[in-house]
Amino acid sequence: MAVSEKNYYTIDPEGKLICMKCQVPLVKGKAKFMYLDNGFPVELPVCPVCGFVYVPEELALGKVLAVEKALEDK
Amino acid sequence: MDFEERSTHVYRQKQMMSKEELVARESLCIHEQPAYCVAACPLKLDTKELVRAVASDDFNRARQLYEKITMFPHILSSGCDAPCQEKCKLGEAGDAVAIRQLEYAAVNYGQKSKAKGMLRFKKKQTVCILGSDLFTLFLAGELAQKNYPLTIFCREASAEDFFLSCLQEQLPQRKEEEARKAFMLEDLKALKNLDIRFECGAELTQSSAEKLRDQYNVTCISLTLARELFGGISHDEKLMMCFEINMVTGGENLSVREAAFAAKKAALTVDRLAQKLAPDNSRGEEGSCETKLITNLDDVSETRQVPAGADGYSREDAVREAKRCIQCHCDECIKGCAYLQHYKKFPRVLTREIYNNVSIIMGDHMMNKPINACSLCGQCTVTCPNGYDMAEICHAARENMVFTGKMPLAPHEFALHDMLFSNQEAFLCKKQPGFETCRYVFFPGCQAAAVAPETVKAAYLDLCSRLEGGVALMLGCCGAICDWAGRYEMYDETKEFIEKNLKELGNPQIIAGCPMCKKELSSYVKAEIRGMWDVLLDIGLPENHRKYNSSYALHDSCGARGDAHTQEAIRRLLEQLGCELIDTEYSGDRSPCCGYGGLTAYANREVAKEMTEKCLERSGLPYISYCMACRDRFAREGRESVHVLELIYGTEAGAPPDISEKRYNRLKLKNHLLELLWGEEIRTVELGFQLDYTKEALEMMDDRMILKSDVEEVMKDCHETGEALLDMETGLLVSRKRLGNVTFWVKYTKTDDGYLVHRAYSHRMNVEKRMG
Repeated sequence: MAVSEKNYYTIDPEGKLICMKCQVPLVKGKAKFMYLDNGFPVELPVCPVCGFVYVPEELALGKVLAVEKALEDK
Repeated sequence: MDFEERSTHVYRQKQMMSKEELVARESLCIHEQPAYCVAACPLKLDTKELVRAVASDDFNRARQLYEKITMFPHILSSGCDAPCQEKCKLGEAGDAVAIRQLEYAAVNYGQKSKAKGMLRFKKKQTVCILGSDLFTLFLAGELAQKNYPLTIFCREASAEDFFLSCLQEQLPQRKEEEARKAFMLEDLKALKNLDIRFECGAELTQSSAEKLRDQYNVTCISLTLARELFGGISHDEKLMMCFEINMVTGGENLSVREAAFAAKKAALTVDRLAQKLAPDNSRGEEGSCETKLITNLDDVSETRQVPAGADGYSREDAVREAKRCIQCHCDECIKGCAYLQHYKKFPRVLTREIYNNVSIIMGDHMMNKPINACSLCGQCTVTCPNGYDMAEICHAARENMVFTGKMPLAPHEFALHDMLFSNQEAFLCKKQPGFETCRYVFFPGCQAAAVAPETVKAAYLDLCSRLEGGVALMLGCCGAICDWAGRYEMYDETKEFIEKNLKELGNPQIIAGCPMCKKELSSYVKAEIRGMWDVLLDIGLPENHRKYNSSYALHDSCGARGDAHTQEAIRRLLEQLGCELIDTEYSGDRSPCCGYGGLTAYANREVAKEMTEKCLERSGLPYISYCMACRDRFAREGRESVHVLELIYGTEAGAPPDISEKRYNRLKLKNHLLELLWGEEIRTVELGFQLDYTKEALEMMDDRMILKSDVEEVMKDCHETGEALLDMETGLLVSRKRLGNVTFWVKYTKTDDGYLVHRAYSHRMNVEKRMG
């Protein structure tokens, strides 16, 4: 599906998260949530080296859960 | 045996049931049927609502309701013989509500409705009324309300004389009834307010009547006058019509109520004739009707009518009398069911909404949650006077959603994995050591092994020692889980799997430890099935069993609904144990579900909790159950709860296990028995590091349905790859792994020999890095 340029959610790690494998701080990077064949472009903390994408607990239990539930009833 | 996540871009469709079937099912629900008093009223007065309004001291509202059926409320309320009162259900338990007096009070104390209503234009078709009697008076009211340009031709000299002449047989003549007479004469104002043209002092002859008939679109005539002018003409009582003279007729020797009803029928005939339509078609339901309502009077105590004075009730007495009304309705199913109470809907409405939900292809499926929240326990089928089966509707909807790809996996995935765990990793099927063939196989049920493994072990060893012919053991799931989830393909595979294993044992007689397993297995297994309770009644309780000598509330399992034999057997066993059992209104077949049934505990924890509370509100005593799921849910709610087998074998299972312990218990039981009875050596795979959990983490995982095995998978992965984040703010390390359809995240710190888990969470959405 065509992914619009709009970002549904943005989190800037502000240097507070370190990738232990690559020993570099995570940066605000482009990521995509996929669920039930639907995609949502977002900006999340991403490791610039290995690409590890971090989904914070508040996001997982908040907005992500709400969108999951909404899609499940589509 | 597996299941896949769905896509929102799949558009398959299948009808859940035909429209005719739907209507047939809906018609079983009588919640919306009219109350007895309402059905009895030929004028269609909402009597029940009127009495409710009086009970809440809202006489204006009550009068407003009364004015809906007549323009002359004083006359009608004074003279109506109130057939509604005869049909009042309270009459079966004491005195009927004094509806007649209450209607009189409503008109007496309520203010005349000031509502102007919608601006309505006069109709073009003209109508005239000839003659003066009660019928023509009420008909004038009906037709004026319908906005016909109306002319009344009467021999009297004025409208007032016409009114008095119409009422002459009804007006009280005795002196002590002056007040009531004045009350009835109040309606003269109503007559004068109507837009009616009077031709007073008219000479009414056959030829003048015929002339008027040609002049007006519809002519109505008092039957007394018509027979005076036209001789012995006929009269159609149903249509209020005389076809010989082509006039709307009525009104010989009618009581007030009869005249009001005759006027309603006649007004409908006028409508039809004015539109040049046959008067006998499309008339709808007229007059009183039959109601299918069934109102349970079990909880209603016998009461007497508040006595009324010569002038009726005082305001206060009317309110007191109206408060006796029980507002007849049927909510037998809702009373005992936390699910219906939660959604505040009765089965007819719920069924229609569920039907529509599974019929729509795109858009929001608002009823998915209610469909998956029913415990499929069948209580409503017992409590409903017509046997409404909500479980069947919800189960059919689930299967339909699975077929069309509209069933989300999230509500049931944990339970389905749990069932796969029972029938794969934790599955055991073995003959009793030393036996080539076994006469019996003990099937304790997956929840028994999960909640009380020691009890299962004790029961099996007891059966092995006291039954002749060998007792095999099968630890697994009967298939109820995937059946409840509507996963019919998985259910078929499970049935095949269980049957195959039974065949390998030589199809021995099954001894079921759980009534739900017994019910489920009976539906597809050929072998004979008995309950563990029946076997224990046969062979007697084990030696040295304890005597309890205390009182308990017995909770009947929904798996034993309709199975009086099992319910009775359990009671006899408990009697032998010295337990004094307290049955409640919702015992036996009426027992509610504990919240585990139908996978409610997984799909909708809020409703499941309400179901458990509903079970526990029945008694303050410790609960005995004979289904391990009930036992577990009651214990989780903090109630002293015990399974009958725990009492028999003296194996107290203790505090309820969390979701990880439930799996661990099953595996541990299997491995322990394999070692103990069959001498098999079990090797367990070590993690290679120490993994500990904070108390907060364990509670969080139980609440969030995250298993220790899920966390172990995440930690094994990060232990090997070193992939982790450090959150500088909290000092916690964070790792994650996608397992099937779920991504699990673990927050932890390092310890000397491994890790200490602080938090865990999960999400179903998949996340990936985006290029560009």
